[in-house]
Amino acid sequence: MSLVNYATREITCKIVYYGPGRSGKTTNLHYIYGQVPEDRKGKMVSLATQTDRTLFFDFLPLDLGSISGFTTKFQLYTVPGQVYYQTTRKLVLQGSDGVVFVADSQARQLEENIESMQDLHANLGEQGIDVRAIPMVIQYNKQDLPADLILPTDQLDDALNFRDVPSFAADALHGPGVFETLRGISELVLKRLSAGSSAGR
Amino acid sequence: MTISAVEDWVEPPLRAFVGDARVVLALLLNTSGQVLAQHGFTRAVDVMAACALAAAIHASGSELGRQLEGKPFSGLHHAGRERQIFLAEAPTPRGAYIFLTVFDRESSLGLVQLYFDEFKVRLAAAAPPKSEHKPALAENFEGDLNKNLAALFGRS
Repeated sequence: MSLVNYATREITCKIVYYGPGRSGKTTNLHYIYGQVPEDRKGKMVSLATQTDRTLFFDFLPLDLGSISGFTTKFQLYTVPGQVYYQTTRKLVLQGSDGVVFVADSQARQLEENIESMQDLHANLGEQGIDVRAIPMVIQYNKQDLPADLILPTDQLDDALNFRDVPSFAADALHGPGVFETLRGISELVLKRLSAGSSAGR
Repeated sequence: MTISAVEDWVEPPLRAFVGDARVVLALLLNTSGQVLAQHGFTRAVDVMAACALAAAIHASGSELGRQLEGKPFSGLHHAGRERQIFLAEAPTPRGAYIFLTVFDRESSLGLVQLYFDEFKVRLAAAAPPKSEHKPALAENFEGDLNKNLAALFGRS
């Protein structure tokens, strides 16, 4: 749920990067963190295991500056992708304004992508959020891998993108597609806020 | 004493608590990890990080309590060498909020708990009914968004 301070004209939005384990959610945040000027970001908080797998979440606060006179801040979260962190994913997803689903483009990961998308829908449903209404984009990550290892984006769209939400090919490790994905979800979240829609809640 | 609050009704109860309990930091947030009011922080981004962590501690503590005792833990206290942390839930008619405070030798756990109980009562009494607002993002919304995102990524 976005927090809007009318007195100081500030908006704070929560965006959650969701997807299967090792799809590149944390990598997205690391890339963003590396690109954003110091004065526009806070510390990146990572609650990770000793092997750097996300245990609870990663968190990156961003100051987007003024949009239509509102100082706009984004809170970017990731969830742990492994199946057994179900409870944690639900907690992080609570109150989200938008979701970036990070899919692993490797052909052998298709089943995990589908399971994770189903898991997302189930968790949103449990929180009374209509999956057809919440702002969402899909990122097909690892598109830089050899063509024989990955699925093309149109095939991934067929398997995952039944809502026909904006989708982006990406190589989060090196940057292509990361900015476009963040831009895509930002636009959807702020447009929905602007419309004052409470549909789906 | 500097208190900043997203909604005005939160400020008087928090101001009273900070003055009475003599704490160093105080933070009121919703269960999604978004700040409603704070005292003692200097950078907004630090507030956001503290909120994310406080919401996580509260959520995992509640779940742990449910699994161990069948109900969420009512509060959490950690005594460090110089500073202590107290975290608990503050219910209001608008829903439950999370309260995090940090104190040093100027205060004590007993004082904090005593004044937190008063704070909860004041906060619940001050809470107005929920209302729907529509932020009016003007026509230049898309241009601003593009410009600011490009600036964030060094593409302007």
